[in-house]
Amino acid sequence: MFMEMLYIGMALFLLLTLVAGLWRILRGPTAADRMLAAQLFGTTAVACLLLLAQALEQPPLRDVALVFALLAVVAAVAFVRRAWVADRETEE
Amino acid sequence: MSVSDIITTILLIAGAAFFLVGTVGLLRFPDVYTRLHALTKADNVGLGLMVAGLALQAESWAVVGKLLLIWCLVLLAGASVAHLVTVVARQRGIKLWKR
Amino acid sequence: MEALTQLQLAFDAVLGLALLWLAWQTLASPELFRAIVLFIAFGLLMALAWVRLEAPDVALAEAAIGAGLTGALLLTALSRLEPKNKSKIPHSKKPESEVDE
Repeated sequence: MFMEMLYIGMALFLLLTLVAGLWRILRGPTAADRMLAAQLFGTTAVACLLLLAQALEQPPLRDVALVFALLAVVAAVAFVRRAWVADRETEE
Repeated sequence: MSVSDIITTILLIAGAAFFLVGTVGLLRFPDVYTRLHALTKADNVGLGLMVAGLALQAESWAVVGKLLLIWCLVLLAGASVAHLVTVVARQRGIKLWKR
Repeated sequence: MEALTQLQLAFDAVLGLALLWLAWQTLASPELFRAIVLFIAFGLLMALAWVRLEAPDVALAEAAIGAGLTGALLLTALSRLEPKNKSKIPHSKKPESEVDE
């Protein structure tokens, strides 16, 4: 029973750090800062899902975490390769 | 409470501490490069400690393998994204923070 | 049992409030790039919400489509939009500072 409470409590704690990190997305001076915050969110969500998988005894949740880990890089690479235009304008 | 439970508790709390430090770093550090530094710590070490703690509680070796696979994928993604962002940020002329 | 239920309730409450707030911020954001990043974060939290609703299969789809692919597609679409805006207003954008505080 203690272990389940620990898992859920940890998941709640991670969720709270995630909500705190939203501040950086709203504020972030450059586009890169916003994208980095989204990257941290992905990792936090993976940890959260792994904890929930253990606490709720639902092994499929580990597969959801696996998909998160796989696709976390897609959005970030799309950002670096394609969408990072705002900062270039300031330089030229 | 068994020994493995105690070790899991310690590892999970250590991992959560790294996530907290990573978020505080993301909020408080002054430029992209220093924020990237805080973020990769949370990504790699925080998730690593959590995976280690959960692997102790896993019911089979397949689950341990899956947890390790997830961690390796996150390591790979984190390292490559950090590298890409730093290189492109240098090219775009984002200045290093100086006191 | 009681404390466990309360913890789960707290988790769900934080998740729900964060989702509503994120949805509002995404819709209200005037800046397109910020809206996209907020949308990606929304997708992540939505997947967690599906997990709490005991629908791991929907969470799997949300993780793949909502957080991963739609984000990349929207970012690509934004990069196609950007040059048009730039030619219309050439130098109105003031340089953003990379260092705050």
